[in-house]
Amino acid sequence: MPGADKETELKGRIEDFLADLKRGGSGTGALRGSGEMARETTYLLRRITAQARWSSAGDLMEIIRHEGRRITAAQPSETTVGNMVRRVLKIIREEYASTASGTSAKQNMVDHVIDGLVEDLSVQIKSNQILFVTYTWLGHEMATGLSKVIIGTQTVLANGGLRAVNGTHSVALAARHHSTPLIVCAPMFKLSPQFPNEEDTFHKFVSPHEVLPFTAGEILSKVNVHCPVFDYVPPELISNIGGNAPSYIYRLMSELYHPEDHKL
Amino acid sequence: MDKDELVEYFRTQVRQDPEVPSAVAAIRTLLEFLKRDQTGETILGLRENLTQTIRRLEEADSSVAVSSGGELFLRFISLTSLEHPDLSQCKKVMVERGELFLKKISLSRSKVAKLCHTFIKDGAKILTHSSSRVVLKVLESAAADKKRFTVYVTESQPDSAGRQMADKLRKLNIPVTVVLDAAVGYIMEKVDLVIVGAEGVVESGGIINKIGTYQLAVCSKAHNKPFYVVAESFKFVRLYPLNQQDVPERFKYKADTLKAVEDLAEEHPMIDYTPPSLITLIFTDLGVLTPSAVSDELIKLYL
Repeated sequence: MPGADKETELKGRIEDFLADLKRGGSGTGALRGSGEMARETTYLLRRITAQARWSSAGDLMEIIRHEGRRITAAQPSETTVGNMVRRVLKIIREEYASTASGTSAKQNMVDHVIDGLVEDLSVQIKSNQILFVTYTWLGHEMATGLSKVIIGTQTVLANGGLRAVNGTHSVALAARHHSTPLIVCAPMFKLSPQFPNEEDTFHKFVSPHEVLPFTAGEILSKVNVHCPVFDYVPPELISNIGGNAPSYIYRLMSELYHPEDHKL
Repeated sequence: MDKDELVEYFRTQVRQDPEVPSAVAAIRTLLEFLKRDQTGETILGLRENLTQTIRRLEEADSSVAVSSGGELFLRFISLTSLEHPDLSQCKKVMVERGELFLKKISLSRSKVAKLCHTFIKDGAKILTHSSSRVVLKVLESAAADKKRFTVYVTESQPDSAGRQMADKLRKLNIPVTVVLDAAVGYIMEKVDLVIVGAEGVVESGGIINKIGTYQLAVCSKAHNKPFYVVAESFKFVRLYPLNQQDVPERFKYKADTLKAVEDLAEEHPMIDYTPPSLITLIFTDLGVLTPSAVSDELIKLYL
């Protein structure tokens, strides 16, 4: 039966995606980079909307929430996945509020809006006064006068703070010390409704073999080595994010996500 | 229902259920007044009567929450389509909305507790100020979640409210220590986070709370400890104080003091104002808010 085939095909795709996520966590799997992950998630959610069986907005939201929980559990450190799920839930709520028509019309409209989601947000670097230097020289360069420091991030948290790659906090502190503006560029799908000291915020650690190779010998048995992947940068160190101050993040958050979807 | 009956009803409500916020007791009184009122002949007249009643209740209990709760109640029940030609119909609608409002705010404390207890980690040392029933509920939820933590409570003179808080916490089997108000700086290096309640949340995102809270906030900022505020949304008040002197006198002192004493300059104020720059996050039943988000939420409530 064509219906049953579609369902098994859909299930198969979801399982593939979950496996990719689990492998792709360290950046070596098929999915690399948050942008690609966000795109893949949106494609998957669009497929679920098109192929799953649902008769009301509530049903669809329940299905997406259920799949969303599974996907985020597969790779908790990839917040973009959870963010896309929450974004889709918000879109469904908005569509439901603005239309009163039947199922098929709703389906088309939801697809149409999800298509719009898939467009990439490009980052424009306008200033021509940027020096690309390595982290070790950054303090020296800042003392002699950089005009601004621009960084990316893995996640933007709900209080305006960042979860960025290790070393970013030091850069931010140096920038604050030398009164150099710190600008963060991040696409919308990196905005996450998490807070930094909440219970289920995570940290990711990787093997320290690049820092302390296994050949180092005796010392290995005497020390504990931790190698965190991310840094927390508090909002006080950031000057503006995409033209918005860190204290304005709550506004963007309320436009993108609905408060009830913060916990999937 | 005349003035003395009103105040008596209010006081009975507070006595019967000491756990209930004073604002909820005030709103129950207002609702009762609305049900019993025979003198109002127009909607404007009804509103006038209710505003008068709120003033009378403020004279009985001068806390900020009674004032803000009363005003929010009034707005909620009257800012709706009251186009029925018959006054008693309109009154019925107002009473229904009043019951709805009351039900909503009775649940707000549990909502706040649900949001906040996830921020308390296992093994945390918490500092709190004076006696707040919302903070108590938060700590109760965290304890029910099988988290182990210890609490330091400031004694909070002049009424030693901190000691009552410590007793309540001991009943919940939470290890608690009472510290002097002056020992806040001394104890700050030991604690992991500070949680306080609020009597009122102002438009700037700052709070009005028992005297000593400002000190606590300054100290925790100096030591880089997170300073959390837990408050229900009916405590949002339309004030924008720029400093301690800007807080209106009618909130600063207890109702009895305001009536009895001539020269307030001799009296010690019971509350102080904590500016938003010292507050990390505010937990309300509307969600977890940064201080800058408070004004948006406040506007949504009052419009």
